[in-house]
Amino acid sequence: MDFHPYGDSAVLVNFEQKIDPQINSKVVALSKALVTSEIKGLINSIPAYCSITVTYNPLEISYSKLCEEIEKLSATSLGDQNAALRVLSIPVCYEDGYSLDWEDVEKQTGLVSTEIIEIHTKTIFQVYMLGFLPGFVYMGSLPQSIAVARKTKPRLKVPSRSVGLAGLQTGIYPSEAPGGWQIIGRTPLDIFDGHKAEPFLFQAGDSVRFKSISPESYMGIEQEIKSSNFNFDEIYG
Amino acid sequence: MRFMGSQVKIYFIKPGLQTLVQDNGRMGQQAFGVPVGGVMDKSAARIANWLVGNDVKSPLLEIALTGPHIEFEGDCQIAIAGADISPTIDGKPVNMYQTITVNDGTELKFRALKNGCRAYLSIGGDWQIKKWLNSSSAFLLSDQNLTPDSIPVKGDHLVIEGIKNVDVKSFPPRLQPKHQSPIQIGIIPGPEFDDFSKKAVDHFLNNQHTISNDYNRMGYRLETILSDFDPKQEVISSGIVPGTIQITNSGQPIILMADAQTTGGYPRIGNVITAHMDKLAQAKPGDQIKFSLVKLEDAYQALRDNEATMNLLLK
Repeated sequence: MDFHPYGDSAVLVNFEQKIDPQINSKVVALSKALVTSEIKGLINSIPAYCSITVTYNPLEISYSKLCEEIEKLSATSLGDQNAALRVLSIPVCYEDGYSLDWEDVEKQTGLVSTEIIEIHTKTIFQVYMLGFLPGFVYMGSLPQSIAVARKTKPRLKVPSRSVGLAGLQTGIYPSEAPGGWQIIGRTPLDIFDGHKAEPFLFQAGDSVRFKSISPESYMGIEQEIKSSNFNFDEIYG
Repeated sequence: MRFMGSQVKIYFIKPGLQTLVQDNGRMGQQAFGVPVGGVMDKSAARIANWLVGNDVKSPLLEIALTGPHIEFEGDCQIAIAGADISPTIDGKPVNMYQTITVNDGTELKFRALKNGCRAYLSIGGDWQIKKWLNSSSAFLLSDQNLTPDSIPVKGDHLVIEGIKNVDVKSFPPRLQPKHQSPIQIGIIPGPEFDDFSKKAVDHFLNNQHTISNDYNRMGYRLETILSDFDPKQEVISSGIVPGTIQITNSGQPIILMADAQTTGGYPRIGNVITAHMDKLAQAKPGDQIKFSLVKLEDAYQALRDNEATMNLLLK
């Protein structure tokens, strides 16, 4: 773990610079500990793959003092990094119309869509971070066999709730946005709903497993959500 | 002193180029990918709110480059600080940086932009704005309009209740910023500063850079292409704070501002010191920027000095 000044109001805490679930678990544990700590002058903590951005008020605490406090906290927080991890089961329809890029993904991997879906639904992913847009989830890591390059020409509009692949990552678009990820399906769940008191379905550190569903089942869940009959507890556990 | 009613409505006859309701933003939601947002020029907004007796965290209008045309329904007090967009009341030029009493039926218009980029219009009272995540700050998202009150369009109106009536105040002219180009901006070396070649760093620090037309509240692209820059310096995405200067693969610097994404993967050559963010907020396309390295302790001192001045003046 090392520290860099990140302007005069933030510290960048770098872990070993590698996309790795163990390293990310340490990031999440320390970031949670920072948010609940009572370090005076600490404002916010943004966890990423293998780093944390800690913002502070320099009128209340200095860079060096804050680094000391983070160092101290890390000694205790890193011990309980597996505490209360959630596992979310996310339904995805991988059929044409919900997916947009099977042709490209099959060509790049040399596999057929059914094989790719099998791998995508068998792997347990970890939410490494949220970023890019409110609620956009970066998850990993994909087995090398289904790793694909981004689209050479990004789409101007990727539909909301699209599930995509990029490099060794898989992710979900929380709202309609431009983007270059290869889209292999869509979930009927609103992973970001700004009108709810708790707008975000995921948080960094969550475990995620995808479940393949039919278009009928997709539309069924969509209806249940619309009429507020969907039981969100179904996706946990 | 005339009697002031308890409620005022302001009507947007024209909204202007980009007129947004802003407050101090959504600090604390960045782990979910929500930008900080909030006013770009914090000092100007703070002064405008102080002039009408509002709290520093009160919402107000941030007006960029071209002003709106507003009609007031009801009597109230307003103030304008920041960029000079030649404000007029019922056709007559009106002073900035002071409390102004306006009456029912008054029309506020703006003319030519004389200096700066963003003007702040405060109105004394409680703004009735639909908040999202505890903030009134405008938030633009393509398919969910979460802050409908904060992005006024033609014909919209806003309601302010609990209209205040304070003694008329002003902010000293000699301390009002002039917003001139070139802009001198202090930076702290960024996390990847040492990965840049000496030639690239020299190019960055020894030249003036022009702000391009690719310019908004998320960030300013500069017209420069950094010499001797190796785009293979890939960085694993990490958190972004406003003021970060990142270098894209083509070698073009982008200064990230209030509405910037919360994560990014470009190498960061530097971070603008907090004490200089307000003057950067008043820069516009075509303006020149000259960067210089600042020590952390000097950045803290500049901030303490600013804070002491403001605390002394805004009593």
